[in-house]
Amino acid sequence: MNTTANNATTTAAATATTTTSTTTRAARSSLAASVKFKAFALSFSTFGPVIYCFCQFFNWPLFTFHPVTNRLVWGYEGPRPGEGPNMLWYGWTATTLLVAVVVGVVAMMLPARMTKKMPLALMWLFPILAIPYIVYSLMPWWTH
Amino acid sequence: MDIISVGAFWTIWLLVHLLFSVGLLGALTHQAMAVALPVRRAAGGIVTRFRAVPAPGYATAVCVLWVLTFIVGSYIYTKYRIFVRIPLEQSGYFKTQGFFDFKEHVASLGLVLLPGYWYLWKNAQNEEYDTARKMVTVVLAVMCWFLFIVGHVLNNTRGFGS
Repeated sequence: MNTTANNATTTAAATATTTTSTTTRAARSSLAASVKFKAFALSFSTFGPVIYCFCQFFNWPLFTFHPVTNRLVWGYEGPRPGEGPNMLWYGWTATTLLVAVVVGVVAMMLPARMTKKMPLALMWLFPILAIPYIVYSLMPWWTH
Repeated sequence: MDIISVGAFWTIWLLVHLLFSVGLLGALTHQAMAVALPVRRAAGGIVTRFRAVPAPGYATAVCVLWVLTFIVGSYIYTKYRIFVRIPLEQSGYFKTQGFFDFKEHVASLGLVLLPGYWYLWKNAQNEEYDTARKMVTVVLAVMCWFLFIVGHVLNNTRGFGS
């Protein structure tokens, strides 16, 4: 009786091990193992902070939101009399995501040897370098 | 018929934003500590055990939590712009407001780092990515702490209930 139970446990454990290793293999062979996704993800994240700074510097919001009237307008629109403030941050973020997706898709179409040349260090250097620019762009708040 | 007041409604969303951010802060801090100061030997004190976590397991959770915190933060931002920012400006809290704008930019910069961060962690076995993975994780953790502290100070200055 005990032997049967032990055998059943061993079989169950073996099945569990097989399932686990299959799952692990499946996870590796999916998105994370894709060369095209690598090109997309690394390009998106490397150039994303640069694109965001450009969007903010040149004021390129995809849309402007007016929170008092809940009005959404394509592109930039300044605050209108009697309608409260305008919000541009949503639009800048949306433009950044859109352009970064385009950059990522273009990177996916390039030969792997070209995208491989992109230094990985840029992915953490660009957001660090973006900080002094962001602080500078907020100067009116610091010097008010 | 209103079940809860408008103030309570936005306060609940602010608390949801807080809860997501606490989860994110914990996960990212664990991961950043594990990758920046890897543990050579198991056991030890609480700091060693804090660093001795299976760091790759946090990557997807960090991405999901960052996105959720970002979405809820973006939702409550519409009310913040009218009911918090305008009184802050009228009261002369210009530097406090400057830090909020700084926070929103940092949140967006962090958001665009997520696909690359996720890819680097999902390929943690590749030694070629070690430095980039470590630095991106530390940058995200520093960003997260900054976002959390600024949010906390702003809520102290003028939360939704005030």
